Amino acid sequence: MWDFVVDRRELIAFQAVQHVSLVVQCVLLATVIAIGLAVLAYRSPKVTGLANGISAIGLTIPSFALLGILLAPFGFGITPAVIAVTFYAVLPVLRNAVVGLAGVDQSLVESARGIGMSRAATLLRIELPLAWPVILAGIRVSTQMVMGIAAIAAYVLGPGLGGLIFSGLSRLGGANALNATLVGTIAIVLLALVLDVVLLLVGRLTTSKGIRV
Amino acid sequence: MSETTVSQQSGPIGEGVTARQVSGVSIRLAGVTKRYPGQPAPAVDAVDLEIPAGETVMFVGPSGCGKTTLLKMLNRLIEPSGGKIFLGDEDVTGQDPDQLRRRIGYVIQAGGLFPHMTVAANIGLVPRMLKWDKERVTARIEELLELVGLDPAVYRDRYPRELSGGQQQRVGVARALAADPPVLLMDEPFGAVDPITRQRLQDELLRIQEELGKTIVFVTHDFDEAVKLGDKIVVFDVGARVVQYDTPEAILADPADEYVADFVGAGAALKQLSLTRVHDVQLRPVTTASVGDATAEVVARARAAGDDYVVVLDRRGRPISWPSLPELERVPAVPGTVDEKLPVVGHGSTLNDALDTMLAASQGGAVVIGRRDSLAGVVVIETIMEAIQRTRQGASE
Amino acid sequence: MTVDTGRSQAPSTAAEDERDTAPPRKGGGWRALAVQPTLVVLGVVAFLVWRSTTTLSETEARQLGWTVLANSVREHLYLTFAAAVIVLAIAVPLGIALTRARLRRFTPAVIGVANVGQAAPAIGLFVLLATWLGFGFRTTVIALVLYAALPVLRNTMVGIQGVDNRLVEAGRGMGMSAFAVLMRVELPLAVPVMLAGVRTALVLLVGTATLATFISGGGLGVLINTGITLSLNSLLIGGAVLVALLALAVDWLGRVVEHVARPKGL
Ligand SMILES: Nc1ncnc2c1ncn2[C@@H]1O[C@H](COP(=O)(O)OP(=O)(O)O)[C@@H](O)[C@H]1O
Ligand SMILES: [Mg+2]
Repeated sequence: MWDFVVDRRELIAFQAVQHVSLVVQCVLLATVIAIGLAVLAYRSPKVTGLANGISAIGLTIPSFALLGILLAPFGFGITPAVIAVTFYAVLPVLRNAVVGLAGVDQSLVESARGIGMSRAATLLRIELPLAWPVILAGIRVSTQMVMGIAAIAAYVLGPGLGGLIFSGLSRLGGANALNATLVGTIAIVLLALVLDVVLLLVGRLTTSKGIRV
Repeated sequence: MSETTVSQQSGPIGEGVTARQVSGVSIRLAGVTKRYPGQPAPAVDAVDLEIPAGETVMFVGPSGCGKTTLLKMLNRLIEPSGGKIFLGDEDVTGQDPDQLRRRIGYVIQAGGLFPHMTVAANIGLVPRMLKWDKERVTARIEELLELVGLDPAVYRDRYPRELSGGQQQRVGVARALAADPPVLLMDEPFGAVDPITRQRLQDELLRIQEELGKTIVFVTHDFDEAVKLGDKIVVFDVGARVVQYDTPEAILADPADEYVADFVGAGAALKQLSLTRVHDVQLRPVTTASVGDATAEVVARARAAGDDYVVVLDRRGRPISWPSLPELERVPAVPGTVDEKLPVVGHGSTLNDALDTMLAASQGGAVVIGRRDSLAGVVVIETIMEAIQRTRQGASE
Repeated sequence: MTVDTGRSQAPSTAAEDERDTAPPRKGGGWRALAVQPTLVVLGVVAFLVWRSTTTLSETEARQLGWTVLANSVREHLYLTFAAAVIVLAIAVPLGIALTRARLRRFTPAVIGVANVGQAAPAIGLFVLLATWLGFGFRTTVIALVLYAALPVLRNTMVGIQGVDNRLVEAGRGMGMSAFAVLMRVELPLAVPVMLAGVRTALVLLVGTATLATFISGGGLGVLINTGITLSLNSLLIGGAVLVALLALAVDWLGRVVEHVARPKGL
């Protein structure tokens, strides 16, 4: 296996970068979408329930099925991969953002309003920072989950390490089939761990010392 | 409503210790009403009230009578359904609420500090929103921390969770005062702290108010607190109906009706103990010592003055302990240890507080502090006993 | 308990999984449970209407013929439940064993491995096992078991660990044997978290079983895969919609079981 890695280090590195960049960009996009939706939702218990329901139900949809459905309108390529990965990444962040925002102590919100902060300032400077650790936990869950989903996305010609696994599958029994699959799988697990550590560090750096656990 | 223009602060200059600077403005309510949707009776029903500039007015009344609702209408956290509110001569009913609130300090239970911001960031929030420059904000933070009795060097960069409940509340007051608003609204601010801390916070507020002369509206359910802190007290009934609005002395001496009498409670004679302040009675002078002084010299001084204990002051002149002479003689130099149980009262405290403090510390006296936490003397239990004797005699006569 | 906090920091929240393992929210009760089956029934009706009204090409008709279709669904369910039964038989006792005093020191390590395993792509696992054991049903079931065992194992351990230790001591103090405490105190209290793990596993299984098609394991994935390779949208969408409906139905079933089996008073 080592020879395989050394031989193809450029291809593997390229695919690893593609995989991570797909995941990171989709998670970033998903975070923005999810926080936007959560801001719209969290003030009303009804809409909050709806958001939680959508999140829970959305997560039951098998990723291969969703990719299949997306192929019909979009065809092969990066578009269905990005849509599917972003879709799944939104759900945990959405749920956590709603719960995190709804969990902010109302007396603090009142304090903020009471000293003359506008609605927007209260949201940006008080509510979102206080909900941030919970939101970030959602982002971590999302990232771990979509690392695997991105592998399946390779089947619809999305970029990334899934390509190695599928090339192993298509040449099964042939030379290096096992190596390709093994390298692809292990690389995904390792990169998922690395991303998790990175997010942990991001959390340390972006969470106020006053609310760190 | 009584004549309000005869209050001490509007009297001629040089009237004595009670004259204080006024930086507050008056508040006038005219027919202020709040109806919550889906409730038959209004929570606040056409209230007329005039709060003079620079006075502390206490709102008391049973739970649910509309005190909080009325208070929050003053800074429009709750929009009135009817009526008008004036700050000074200005009708603020139609003003932008955010702008209005920056001119009105607001303190809630436990301070409402933002846990993700340092003490300095919490206090500096409003000045920064008002676009003060950086140096001015920093200087203001220092000044306010000093004012509420917290050492800026120690507390500036702490987070709220690194403070005790009482300290959080002090920072809450400092934050409310940050932009020097003429009006301060406080909703049961000391409701969540232990009795000893509460009493210290009350003393602190009296001292601050003596310095600043804001217009303070203070909601409480504790009548003793109202008597201690208020220049005037408003007793409310359901629907925020004003039952009596007068000075604490007048309400205690002459409750408007049975309802108020009930609320004031039994033992009104003893309540007079709440009306007498520590600075109204004779304080004992004491021998003081600084940390590090040679004990031999200190003990000799104390003996000469006839004292059997010494009050130790820290570098800023604040009392930190009061060892007895035999205790002191055991060490060569005066120790700097802070006695957490040292009974301390402010000179604006009531005799009631002083008695409580002594009982809690199992001591026959308490150290009295005046402005900026400096030592004013010692009040002893005998003085309080005399005061009780006097009021009892007064009551039986 | 609807928040994911960082898994590696707080073991008590490790019960949270990407597939929402939170026990059903209280209050909503049965009414909340009614939404999902309504959706599923509507979906199935829509699918049946579509299937009976569209004209299909010969290839499409072969795959979407009623018998073939029923067969695919049956295969998919068979894969799912065969794997589920094996998972329960292995992961629950293993999880219990790992929380006993003698093995307890391995618990953090196992939970750690379970968390890492979560990031492993299912497709990689399928292909690796196929290279080793060959294609077919048996390999598929093994792959599914390996993949779905993790949430059940983890939630079993987390659920039992989450039981207040004072209750266990109280039980022992009353003279109950270790086994009696396990059966009468620890397991009943851990049931909500364990059931959440089982539901997670079931939903994972329905989804992952679609990948069986890549190693000749059958199931509804075949429809999707054929649809993709032959560019037949009707197959593609038909298969995908059916799998999604199946997942929703299984998830609902899990929620109902959780609702019914939750110990009263919790
Ligand atoms: N947001 C609200 N919606 C409806 N009713 C309220 C609301 N806030 C307070 N009330 C009602 O108004 C009355 C006065 O409440 P409040 O001002 O909080 O009383 P207090 O502060 O004197 O205890 C109570 O009967 C309370 O139930
Ligand atoms: Mg109230």
